[in-house]
Parts: sequence; C-alpha cells; structure tokens
Amino acid sequence: MADNNSMNIYEKEAEEMTAMRKITKQNKFERTEGGFINLTFDGVTYERVKVVRLFPFTDANKYISIRQNDDKAREIGIIEDMDELDDDTRSMLEEQLRLNYFTPVIEKIHNIKDEYGYAYFHVKTDKGECKFAINMASNAVTKLSDSRLIITDLDENRFEIRDVNALTQKERRKLDLFL
Amino acid sequence: MILYYDIPHKLTETVPLSDNERIYYAVPYDIDREGNWVKGAYLLVTTTKIHIYDGEKITDTIEIKRCQKAKAEAKVGGGILVVTIDGLEHVLVHYSAKHLSRYAYIARGINILISGRFEEVESSEYEKTCPKCARAIPGTKNCPKCSKEGGFLKDFTNMAKPYKKDFFGIFILMVLAAVTTLLNPEIQKHLINDVLKGNGGMKQALIFIMLMFSLSVGIVIVNILKSNASTRLGAKISADLRYKLFKKYQELPLAFINDRRPGELLNRITQDTTYIREFMEDVFCNLFAVLFIFIWDVLFMMILNIKLALLTFIFVPIVVVMILAFRRTVSRIFHLQWRKNDDVSSDLQDVISGMRVVKTYGREEAESERFKVLSAEFSETQRRNETFWAIFNPIISFLMGMGAVIVVYFGGLDVFGDKMSAGELYQFITYTLLLFQYINWMSWLPRELSLLTSSLERINDILSQEINTPDEDTLVDLEIKGEIRFDHATFGYKSYQPVLEDINAVIKPGEMIGIVGASGTGKSTLINLLMGLYEIDDGHLLIDNIDLRNISRKSYHSQLGVVLQETFLFNGTIIDNIRFSKPDATYDEIVYAAKMANAHDFICQTPDGYNTYVGEKGYSLSGGERQRIAIARAILTNPRLLILDEATASLDTESEFMIQKALERLTDGKTTFAIAHRLSTLKKANRIMVIDGHNIAEIGTHEELLSRQGIYYNLHQAQIG
Repeated sequence: MADNNSMNIYEKEAEEMTAMRKITKQNKFERTEGGFINLTFDGVTYERVKVVRLFPFTDANKYISIRQNDDKAREIGIIEDMDELDDDTRSMLEEQLRLNYFTPVIEKIHNIKDEYGYAYFHVKTDKGECKFAINMASNAVTKLSDSRLIITDLDENRFEIRDVNALTQKERRKLDLFL
Repeated sequence: MILYYDIPHKLTETVPLSDNERIYYAVPYDIDREGNWVKGAYLLVTTTKIHIYDGEKITDTIEIKRCQKAKAEAKVGGGILVVTIDGLEHVLVHYSAKHLSRYAYIARGINILISGRFEEVESSEYEKTCPKCARAIPGTKNCPKCSKEGGFLKDFTNMAKPYKKDFFGIFILMVLAAVTTLLNPEIQKHLINDVLKGNGGMKQALIFIMLMFSLSVGIVIVNILKSNASTRLGAKISADLRYKLFKKYQELPLAFINDRRPGELLNRITQDTTYIREFMEDVFCNLFAVLFIFIWDVLFMMILNIKLALLTFIFVPIVVVMILAFRRTVSRIFHLQWRKNDDVSSDLQDVISGMRVVKTYGREEAESERFKVLSAEFSETQRRNETFWAIFNPIISFLMGMGAVIVVYFGGLDVFGDKMSAGELYQFITYTLLLFQYINWMSWLPRELSLLTSSLERINDILSQEINTPDEDTLVDLEIKGEIRFDHATFGYKSYQPVLEDINAVIKPGEMIGIVGASGTGKSTLINLLMGLYEIDDGHLLIDNIDLRNISRKSYHSQLGVVLQETFLFNGTIIDNIRFSKPDATYDEIVYAAKMANAHDFICQTPDGYNTYVGEKGYSLSGGERQRIAIARAILTNPRLLILDEATASLDTESEFMIQKALERLTDGKTTFAIAHRLSTLKKANRIMVIDGHNIAEIGTHEELLSRQGIYYNLHQAQIG
C-alpha cells in the first residue's frame, strides 16, 4: 500500500530526530533588534532561535541545544561547550540564557520565619535582596545533592543554595528545618 | 488577580495621556535588563500606548497601532512579554514566576486593543500572597489576616447562627463549670481555717468533706455534659458544612473545579470541616469557661493578698515566653521528623512499586543500601525527638510549679507574720496553679484561632461562589433527533488560551463522525463541549437547531450516552453500575442491555452474578469488561446521541472485537462522535473530522480524505502502510 518513494512524513520526522548536529565557532549567531538571536547553520538562517540547557543543574554551560522557534521546536544543533565559542557569541548566548532561566542563588539568609504552615524567607541573592514564602507542607525544598538545594516558592520561583556548608552556623540553624 | 496596581504618583504624573486615553493595565515587572531583581518598575498599557517605567523614568513607549501581536512566554522561573512591532519580535519586560499568569492576561488585553476593540480583560484567579502583608493566602480570595476587620467573627457568627440553642446550652454549662471550679478552693480554705486549725469536730469536718465531694462530682458531671454537648454540636456543624460543600461542588461549573487541584477541594470537605469539629470539641467548649475562670481567678487572688498576687503576676510573662520558646522548638523538631518520615515512606513506595525494574537491572543491593541510610537517619531523628519530648512536659510542669514555690515562700512569711491565714494561703496556691494551667492553655489560642480562620475562609470561599443558573422557564425539554451544528464555536479552559477556535460543522441525524488528531489538539475538548460540561465562549452549539444553552440539562443528559477510554465504576454492584443511568430499570431491561453489550456472559462467570461487588475494593474486572459494563449502561437509556472517547484503545484484540460489535449495535442509527487513535476502529464512520491547530483541519469521508493527501492521508499511511 505504501510506496517507498514518498516516505511517510512521520517516518521522516522520526528519522530526523536522531541526527546529532554540533554547532561550533564556524556557525554564525547575530543579535536581532528585538533582543533575540538568529543562527545561520548549513546555509539556512533560523530566526529567533531558542536556547536550551540540557544539564541546567550539573553542567549549565555545556550541551546547549539550539532549537527552532515554532511549536515543534526542532533542534538545529548542540553547542558542546560554551567556553569554546568566541566572547561575542558567548555573551549573546548568555543574554538569552538569562531571559530563559531565572534561578537566583541565595548567598545570605537574613531571616526565616515560620508561621502556620508557611515559611517566610528574607535573603540576599546574586540578583539582589528578596523576600519569598514557601509552603512547608509541600515539597518546596529539593535536594540536588547533600549540600545543594533548590527552593521553590509559592509562585514557583526557584532559588538555589549552592553549598549549604558555606553558610554560617547561624544561617544553617535557620535552614535546619528544611534539610 | 490584580491587573491594575496602585502606581506611584511620580509615574502617574509622567504618563502623557491624550484626550479619550486612559490607563487599562498597570503591572509591575521585577527583573531588569541585567537579570537582577528590580523594585518599583511597571508596565503600563493605555488605550493607544505601552509604557515601560524602570522605577525612575519611562524608558520605552510603544504605539499599539504599530504592534501586531503580544505574547507572554513562560520560561524557567519567570517569563517574558514579547510584542511583535512592525513584524519583528521584541522583548519588552522580564518578570519572575510571581507574575506569569498576570502577564498572560496582559498579553490578551494588548491583543484585544491591537484588534481595535476596547474591552478590558479581568482575571478571576486569586493572588497567592497578600499584596498588603506579603503573607501566603490559603487558596482564598482575600487574605485572612488583613481582608476585613472582624471578618472572622462575622464568619463565625454566620456559621453559628442556625445553632443558637445549642450554643446557649453550652454557654450555661460553661458558666456552671467555672463556678464549681472556683468554689472548690473556697471550701478548702474553710476546711483548713475553721475545722483543722479552728476547733471544729469530726462532724463539721465531715460536712466539708461531703461538700467537697459533691462539688467534685458536680464538676465531673458538668464537664461531661459540656464536652458531650460540644462534641455533638461540632459533629452537627461539620456534617452540615460537609453536605453544603458537597452540594455546592455538584452545582459549580467544571471550570471552577478545574482551576483548583483536586486534592485541595477534597481537603476542604474532609480536613477543613474536621478542623471545625475539633475546634468545637477541644477549644470552644472550654473557651468561655477558661476566660471566666481566669478573670475570677485573678480577682480572687488580688482580693486575698494583693502583694502576693502582683508578685505572682510578674512571673507570668516569663513562664509564657519560656513555654512559647519550648513549643517552637518542639514543633520544629516534629516537623523535621515528619519530613524524614515522608522521605522514608516515599522511597519505600518508590522501590516497591518499581520492584520489577529493580530486579531486572540487578539493583537490589544498591537500593537496600540507599534505604538503610534513609532509615537510619529517620530513626536517629526519632530517637532525638523522643528524648526531647520526654523532658518537655516535666519542664513545663516545673516552670508552672516554680510560681507555686514563690507563692509558698512569700505567702509562708505572711502566714508566720499573721497577715494571712493558712487556709487562705492554701486557697491562694490553688488559684496560682489554676492560673498557670490556664495560661498554658491560652497560649495555644492564637494558633488554634488562626487555623480556624483559615478553615472558615476556605469553606466560605466555596459557599459564597455565585452560580448563574439559567432561568428554568426558558429552557426547553427536547426530544433529540440528532442534528448537531457547530456555528463559529470558540472555547478555551482559560480565557487567554483558546483550545478550539471558530469551529464550523453540520452533522446529520444518525451520522457517525470519527474524530482524529494528535493529542492536545482539542479532540477531548470538543467532546466535553458536546457533553455540555462546559459552555462555549463564543458562537453556538446547536442541537436540532436549538442552542444547547437553552436545552434543559436533565432532558439533554438523559438522551446522551457516553463510553470513555477508562471506565469509572462506582463502588457498588454490577447492577448498581449498569442502573446508574436509569435507576428504575427492570431486571429484564438490564439483562437485555448486558446481552447487547456482550457483557452478560462474563457477568454470569463472576461469583455473585449481577450482584457482584465491583469498584475500588471489589471484584476486579478487566479493562474490556469494565468497558462492556459502560456500554450496557449506555444502551439502557437508549440514547439519541453517543460519545465514544477512545472506547477501544486499551484492549486486547479479542475484547476489542467483542466491544466493537457491541458498539455497532449501540451506535446503529444514532448520531455518534467517536475519538480514535487507531484509524481501523473508524471503519464504520460516515465521515472523519481531523482536528489540528485549534480547528477542524479536514472533514469528509475516508475516501475523500485519502485522495486529498493531507493529515489524514499521512496518519493512514503511518498506521496501515
């Protein structure tokens, strides 16, 4: 029934998904006026590409997937290591990553107050001072490792604590309840 | 959700507004260009412009007439507002997750202005934290803390009003309890002063002892009566509330239910009403008695010996502070234990339900080791907590005892100095002990009241929802012939996210329509609309040329048959489940329906025939068997309109064949909509409807669609070719 000349589009799609393409220094990124970036790859210019981290927690600057900007979001290619790109390209990509990922890193805990099932944090992050609230009954605190935490607040903002052991004794005591 | 914030004066002054121009939306954005937190920055949308204000000045102004489209894109931990200006996409602002859904509404609002209309978008979603006091809002519209002054009292009296009599009875009992409790030390004083130290004889002593005995008995009886009455009242109130909530849930539109997590709604029925009962039992029944006793206790102490009383009162705040500090620590460590316990049990559940995978990959050792560590941690926390717990209560008793020691010392001096009698000192000590006991009790009050307030808020949040029930008189009872017409029908679960846009189709009576399309394109949504579970936002859905909105629900649903992919059987017998659609069906009708559904034979194989108990804890039926019961249920009402949602998707070939046959009997001559992934199950369909991109992409007979070489053709090739 099916003739092999017109290979089914789904089969083709499934086949295409398996391709491993690497994006290197040779491929050209450029800024758009609107604050996004375009990529020229294999002679084709893709507009407003998506920049996606494959290992956001374990290796945030390696394996960056560049994808087309449509509903299917097909992959154009993967950047293996951001450090191997030139400075200009890297800063362009970093700008995009900043737009796509917002996870302030907590540097100092001023205060944690718990009241009727909610805990209120007042912290200093790498993005500035901030206050947020978490629900103590839900799994607001996720352990990435023994000393690394992700805290999700009521609005589903994410905050990271890189190393619990780097906090002062006093701060750790405040945080004790969540460890 | 607030879409128009109070903006600072400085900003109001700097925004240039021409005539006929006004501010539509003013919302904060909280991340600046460098990706840092920013405060006091706003995005303003007026009738013709979008302004961006960075906290000091307006940094950017965009004419809406130059824009084509606005889109709020959700990112990790935040989002960006993207506006297409002169054909090019621009990032306008970056915001944290706090404003994610807020900007979805703003984007919709901008799009409406772009299209030349001037409607204003409103959001019925609730804020998660209070904009005033930054406290978490427990899933209600207003912050329980600062919404309305005295709101709690109003809520409570509203709830209590129907039970006036019971409350009055409890109140009387409370006063009685207080009086008897306070009287006892007075009699003891007389016993010591007049009898033991005075010259009373055995006879007098016996009278006092009898008095004390009867008072003690009185206290016990009054307390039993009081607790009984409170428990009964608590149970009554919570049962009534549960019923009211459940009834309300049935009446509320599905859209409201879908906006909330199922667990949350369940909790309101089970936990919140339970909490109100517990409050009535444990707290309320003592509330006034304690306050009453407390006040008199303090007064009596001051009358007896003002110096000693003041000395004791100095001690009170110290004890209160220590009790609170201790309790804090206790609740912290128990929270910790609870978390660890949670870790252990979820890990256990994980490994046990994944046992086959663990075994096949030979990971038993590693998993055991991991569990051992968790378990050890848990037992360590538990051990520490129990130790702490063991010393907690004695310490509290000790603290309260300390007050008595001071009283004994200074009071003793007074007795030696003849300023006080021994009986009075004894009475005073008893009052002191009562005082500390009630202070301990009252220190729990703020917490209990706050929990009660949250529960009441959550319950009232549901009960006060207004439902627009259509006027019964305008609704018609309709004998459905089966012509269905979609006329520019548009619908989305969230106002800013249409799932189906501008659907147009006419289905003839008795036609069978197959619906295909990738998941998430709106197939099930279309069916939900047909089932009358949601109302369409725009356009019409006409049944025999009458708008579905104008047909009485009862008459419509009695002529509708539904077989879904996963059949839900209620707890009950097979007969209960078949009869669900028509409670007055006779045995004859039921057996006939079961035979038509190819269900009769397997029902005969079950131990208790049609009386076999099925459901969550009952006899387990296979997917195919459940399906056939659902078909029997549908056949029983002889519906005019049938909806099959993947009815044969998860079945083996044999049962699929049986069900296919049963379905053919069921659908014969009736207007039918059938969703299917496997196109082979749609062989009997008169026409196929392909849903793609929020719309009907293709519609026609199997042959027509094949020759068109479109989506259907590709699907067909992929499955059959």
